[in-house]
Amino acid sequence: MRLAALAFLVSSLAWPKTEVVALPGKSPLVNFRIVFRVGAASDPAGKHGAAALTAAMLSRGGTKSMTYKQVVDALFPMAASIQEQVDKEMTVFSGVTHIDNLENYYRIFREALLEPGWREEDLKRLRDDLINYLQITLRGNNDEELGKEVLYNEIYRGRPYGWNNAGAVADLQAITMEDLKKFYREHFTQANLILGVAGGYPPGFLDRVKKDFAALPAGVEKPLKLPSPAPISATRVVMVEKKTRSVAYSLGFPIEVRRGHPDYPALLVAQSYLGQHRQSTGRLYQRMREARGLNYGDYAYIEYFPRGMFQFEPDPNLARQQQIFQIWIRPVEPPTAHFALRLAMFELNRFLRDGISEEAFQKTRNFVSKYVNLLLKTKDAELGYAIDSRWYGIPDYPAYIRQALAKMTREDVNRAIRKHLRSDRMVVVVVAQDCDALKRQFLSEAPSPMTYNAPKPEEITREDKIIETLKLGFQPENIQIVPVEKIFE
Amino acid sequence: MRLATLLLIAALAAQGVDSPRKVFPLPYEQHDFPNGLRLVTVPTEFPNVVALYIVVQAGSRNEVEPGKSGFAHFFEHMMFRGTKNYPPEKYEAVKANAGAASNAYTSDDLTVYHMTFSKEDLPKMLEIEADRFQNLEYSEAAFRTEALAVLGEYNKNSSSPVSKLFEALRETAFDRHTYKHTTMGFLKDIQDMPNQYAYSREFFQRYYRPEYVTIIVVGDVQPASVRTLVARYFGAWKRGSYRAEIPQEPPQTGPREAKVDWPTPTLPWLAVAYKAPAYSDVNKDGAALDLIAYLGFSPTSDLYQKLVIREQKVDMLSASNPDHADPYLFMVMSRIKSPADAASVKEDILKTFAAFKDRLVPAERLETLKRHLRYSFALRLDNSEAIAATLARYVALTRTPETVNRKYELYMQITPEDIRQAARKYFNDDGRTVVTLATAPPKGGTSK
Repeated sequence: MRLAALAFLVSSLAWPKTEVVALPGKSPLVNFRIVFRVGAASDPAGKHGAAALTAAMLSRGGTKSMTYKQVVDALFPMAASIQEQVDKEMTVFSGVTHIDNLENYYRIFREALLEPGWREEDLKRLRDDLINYLQITLRGNNDEELGKEVLYNEIYRGRPYGWNNAGAVADLQAITMEDLKKFYREHFTQANLILGVAGGYPPGFLDRVKKDFAALPAGVEKPLKLPSPAPISATRVVMVEKKTRSVAYSLGFPIEVRRGHPDYPALLVAQSYLGQHRQSTGRLYQRMREARGLNYGDYAYIEYFPRGMFQFEPDPNLARQQQIFQIWIRPVEPPTAHFALRLAMFELNRFLRDGISEEAFQKTRNFVSKYVNLLLKTKDAELGYAIDSRWYGIPDYPAYIRQALAKMTREDVNRAIRKHLRSDRMVVVVVAQDCDALKRQFLSEAPSPMTYNAPKPEEITREDKIIETLKLGFQPENIQIVPVEKIFE
Repeated sequence: MRLATLLLIAALAAQGVDSPRKVFPLPYEQHDFPNGLRLVTVPTEFPNVVALYIVVQAGSRNEVEPGKSGFAHFFEHMMFRGTKNYPPEKYEAVKANAGAASNAYTSDDLTVYHMTFSKEDLPKMLEIEADRFQNLEYSEAAFRTEALAVLGEYNKNSSSPVSKLFEALRETAFDRHTYKHTTMGFLKDIQDMPNQYAYSREFFQRYYRPEYVTIIVVGDVQPASVRTLVARYFGAWKRGSYRAEIPQEPPQTGPREAKVDWPTPTLPWLAVAYKAPAYSDVNKDGAALDLIAYLGFSPTSDLYQKLVIREQKVDMLSASNPDHADPYLFMVMSRIKSPADAASVKEDILKTFAAFKDRLVPAERLETLKRHLRYSFALRLDNSEAIAATLARYVALTRTPETVNRKYELYMQITPEDIRQAARKYFNDDGRTVVTLATAPPKGGTSK
């Protein structure tokens, strides 16, 4: 067993309301992950973006005694920073410092979280940042992330997960300093707090941190009660119209499975087989990119994984009560767009019908059992996963996965696939130019034959014959075209 | 606990900035094989995991023939198309069985193939990597299909204006050197890639040779056994003889400007660049310019405080002097919140450059930056993969980790006068290129 696992400490005695996850070690670095069990799902009506803006004010604004410039100047010689990440039900402030600078760094980190500065000039700048993120960075400059975020918005429309973590433009414009202070008072409480510290901190340090954070209001433990996502009675297609040279797809539907659910490990294996993120081993990647050169990659997910185009491993502390199954098809050339979607559906149908073979099961199980090591390769990730495990009420993540894998059979995986996955009743998001034409193609169900720039094996051409006429079955009333300017407003 | 591990922990723990220790504190072994291949092994305290980085000293800089832009990157894709002994499915199966995370990337001066996996899989991973570096074999059909995946990669990048801004900056700033094109390459060359099968074999013969390659192994390993394994699998690899004639860039003789129209709504971008010297761990000029990137443009700088924090005219501002084998560019990039401020932002940036030529940087501020640099480096070394990735970019330039220590020692020696001298030498109108990117005006409008 790893030293870190042995040293995994749980302490909730001295300050009964605060949970602590501590991973002491011999490293010269000290990592912090201070988590609050609150996020965008708690944004008040008409104030979507309150969680994001509050968190930004703490980590990228001044403190009570220091302007933001003074904070930046003080952190600079230590090469340190404070990062925030806001998801639906979790907000995390993270940072790392060399042990030489622990006192100086912690003093600023503590003050940022416990004694925010609430300056109007910081609010103005951070509000602009969030609006620009939605309007320019997401809507204008990244078709893939746009598609994924629209998929979540659409699946959870009218529910507490139904808006972007950064909020909505009109709401952001209306949020006041008082709104943020109120949000902070109500949610940044001891009851919502999980203190995560790892690395080579000295004896007694952890007690100090606990004592300092006891200054937060006690609060009451009030787990977020979420309604079930609205049932999807027939596949809905949301087409985002924008000027772009290619067509990006994201598709999916809600699943009841999350970490701790009896089928989570089996579904993790299923997902890895179908489309392990950014690896060339997945079935979708092999059939769409490797065999046919349709695009840069194709993957499958059972948990929220933002920023996947920039990173290989997911960030921790994105724990959610509700997750979706998702397929991500990276941008394809417009003439092949209809075929690419048909191929993805063909593969999904085959996956549902045949499940995975014994050989594939053994291989994928072996891959996953080793891959979990890599997910936790940094102290920061180890700390983040430990916090998530606490949140989900499961053991240490690698142990949780490996124990389940040891007992798992191929039938467990295939049963999980049949029980939780489907190829109808989903939401399909398309980011494209000239959506009208593509919509007509979808509805016509006309053949979409592929031509290649090189001879293909007979197995592929034969399969293409079937795929090119595969019925998508979309109904005209379920296809909606939305100009990109309307998204996230 | 093994002695090596104990020593390592001691080395890391002693890594305070005020100590005179080397910035890269880990003991490593550097070994040259008779065929020209170099191996760098760094044992670390991080248990179980091993990071294997194979660095080829060839990138888009080596794309000397016209019409071949983007080829080094394309070739990186082809390296996953298999050999006789390990066709792609078998290669993938071996990696999957090892639970390995693997990928590759290409830049101007290098191509890197990397994998991270459990230590017991090291022999097998070295075997499959040695096999593809020596025996790569793919059909023309596979080649043509992979060319489409590269086009897919271009497509997924194409919604970002920053890619376009870089493309225009390089195209404008360079006349002859291959840095004129980006690693991704020109779209027309990418679209022609399927027709370049014969050239791809030539590319492999030229550059996938031991004298171009350094293998970096970092993690839960013993140098002696790594050496034995590498000798076993890579020992028979034949040395090559090709040397690319990289065109020299003539001195720039006047300021240059370019404008890029962007088809969708965006905030305007402004890039200001000056020609800068090649990477060196001996010459102070490059080191001084690296420091100016922080002093002039980082969040603690006067300019950042003015434009981003106080006036809030700009929401992104950054500068860099990226390490390159040949003279490249010192670049400042900024995103401006309102088109009306574009001219004043440009003026502020130019004034900042000019100030470095006039005034001496306060010594105290320079010392603060030196502390920042040493801590920043130390914070990066928190896992085996990060250590290997950090070394890879230096090894691509000089083939040795020691260059990191030399470069940081050079930083420590830089004085305010060195900074002023470097600014006077490089921040001149003749070497400047400015590129702006903004939403295209509606049809019939004016571009002014």
